[in-house]
Amino acid sequence: MRLHTKTAYGFIGPYLLIFVAFWAWPIIYSFYLSFLSTRRAPWSFNPTMTWGRLTQDPAFYNALKNTLTILAIQVPIMIALACILAVLLNSSLLRARGIMRFAFFAPVVIGEAAYAAVFRLMFNAEFGIVNKALGSIGIGKIDWFANPTAAMALIILAVTWRWVGYNAIIILAGLQSIPKDVYEAAILDAVTPRQQFLYITLPLLKPVIVFCLVLSTIGSMQLFAEPFLITNVGGPGGATETLGLLLYKQAFLNLNFGYASAIAYTIAALALIISALNLWVSRGDDA
Amino acid sequence: MKMLMSTTALALTVTASAATAETEITVWAWGSAAPGLQATVDGFNAQHSDIKVTIEQNGYSDVKSRVLAACAAGGAGLPDVFQFQNVEMELIIAQFPDCAADLVPLGFDDSAQSNFPEFKLFALQQGDKVLGMPWDSGPVMMFYRRDFYENAGVSLEDIETWDDFIEAGKKVQAANDGVTMINDNLNGGAEFFRMIGEEQGCGYFSEDGGEITMAQSGCVAALEVIGKLNEAGLVSAANFNEKIQNNAAGVVATQMSGAWMEGPIRNNAPEDQAGKWGIYEMPSVVDDGARAANFGGSLLAVAGNSDKKEAAYTFLSYALGTVEGQITMLKDQGLVPSLTSALDDPYVSQPSAFWGDQAIWQTVLGRLERIAPINGTEYFSDADQVMIATQTAFLNGEYDSAQAALDEAAKQVMFATGLPVAE
Repeated sequence: MRLHTKTAYGFIGPYLLIFVAFWAWPIIYSFYLSFLSTRRAPWSFNPTMTWGRLTQDPAFYNALKNTLTILAIQVPIMIALACILAVLLNSSLLRARGIMRFAFFAPVVIGEAAYAAVFRLMFNAEFGIVNKALGSIGIGKIDWFANPTAAMALIILAVTWRWVGYNAIIILAGLQSIPKDVYEAAILDAVTPRQQFLYITLPLLKPVIVFCLVLSTIGSMQLFAEPFLITNVGGPGGATETLGLLLYKQAFLNLNFGYASAIAYTIAALALIISALNLWVSRGDDA
Repeated sequence: MKMLMSTTALALTVTASAATAETEITVWAWGSAAPGLQATVDGFNAQHSDIKVTIEQNGYSDVKSRVLAACAAGGAGLPDVFQFQNVEMELIIAQFPDCAADLVPLGFDDSAQSNFPEFKLFALQQGDKVLGMPWDSGPVMMFYRRDFYENAGVSLEDIETWDDFIEAGKKVQAANDGVTMINDNLNGGAEFFRMIGEEQGCGYFSEDGGEITMAQSGCVAALEVIGKLNEAGLVSAANFNEKIQNNAAGVVATQMSGAWMEGPIRNNAPEDQAGKWGIYEMPSVVDDGARAANFGGSLLAVAGNSDKKEAAYTFLSYALGTVEGQITMLKDQGLVPSLTSALDDPYVSQPSAFWGDQAIWQTVLGRLERIAPINGTEYFSDADQVMIATQTAFLNGEYDSAQAALDEAAKQVMFATGLPVAE
């Protein structure tokens, strides 16, 4: 090894040590754990208690179903809204542009605990402002925390509210990298603004949108804070229990680290597969 | 002591002043238990000025998660003393047997143990070891608004069974606009199920912890009661903090809970509610049936890796093991003493102005000797999670009967734990 190569490794050495101790080792160790029965000390090798249980556990299938439901409904709605929002924020007609952009981005900056507490108050069935507003236009009381469908809708609303601005800012950056002359040429050819959006903006934005899709997919697979804080730890009765929440309950409430590790590996594998699918479906000459 | 005040994540650190402090011990406690324990520190320092006690208050779930995480890390970061719920202690014993110190060599011998009731020592004994000292217990009581009941012409003599309670509830709701008869944590817990089930002699697991008993008749009866309350529109969902808010807003007529809720109700009520609250025994399922159960109640354990075990034990034996310590916490926060001798203290028979001059502690403590031990086992939260999901499905009409719902729940718990379902 040449001297300056050694020096370089010396510089990244501290980082590598930390990476191995707090990243690589836990990842390997939890794979090993996922084959152990961890119900009582001492732990013993028994994959039927972890991987075997996973294949037949109704709680796991429930969490999987909930996570995929959120993924299938929330992510497309959010990305569509983010695209529209980005185009509006990019409009030359918009005044106070900086403030508007910050306003939509702000939810990401707010702590999860704080916004969850506000959502809990707003959606309170008895005194919440949302039910009061719905009541004034003739829609009856919705019990947001007790009705499984309403609770799921609430989670989707909350996650969308929190992340739509973030995605819009990323898409906005993509939008601004589209050369102006493309639009100028389109205007000369009398292409309507709607057609411009569909046939110029969207295709050129595709790599950015795919990037947002992959990020959101991973985020949805790991969704934890909203169902934990807003809907009573995945309530009512597990109706909003996500895979992340199931993992937490198994590991830190039931102290079943083996089973929790198996769930963790399943989440990672699913996120990988779905993201790969995203990339594959949207593959093309430029993506 | 079960306090779901998880939103009070801000650790409020209260420090005792002792001029000649030589040894310092730190205690983790939650909810109203922390200020209760703090109230005993002055009395303790009068006798032991050389031990300084620092009590850190956190929410219940924060203390629980921090203790479990610290135990999993081999005791790193644990304080000298920590609070835990009796029903969950088995979890620590099964996974981290060295996390809590054996108190017997420190002085918690047979005669000291005999000052506490059997159902409180039950979860703490591990062979010859005793891994914690019982703190408070939670005889289940009905806390009610006298004025709301009076408006409806309901008197307590009319309420013996849950059917009576439902009849009374219909009248109370009809006579008091916007008032709900009772709150249960329906969206995030199975608390009524556990309380009424225990009243009927049924828990998730058998007393020896070897079988799943949640589909037995007592538990079926409990789920049926919840179904009837729900069907009659008498129960609305509220977690612990929301119950306290509803009390303060005057929109709920009754709360059923362990007696430790006395302090939170009294200390959070607006002034104009003084004298309007009262207490009565939980209704039974059948005529002349059992009307006693325990809900919540905790212990203090000494960390297995603490190097100040003697000082920690000295504090425990004062705060929890003397009448003076226990009565101080009863007065301050309504923590019901486990220490049997504290029950003869004259304070117990005094009427309380907030509770409409009712001598509430006599009513509460009269329940204690009727409480049977319940084995939480290390699988308690597994069973609890299944039960919460089953309860929601049952209330949404997804099962034909309570029996069918609980048979299915028992099967799932069997699957998660490997224990057999009791016939």
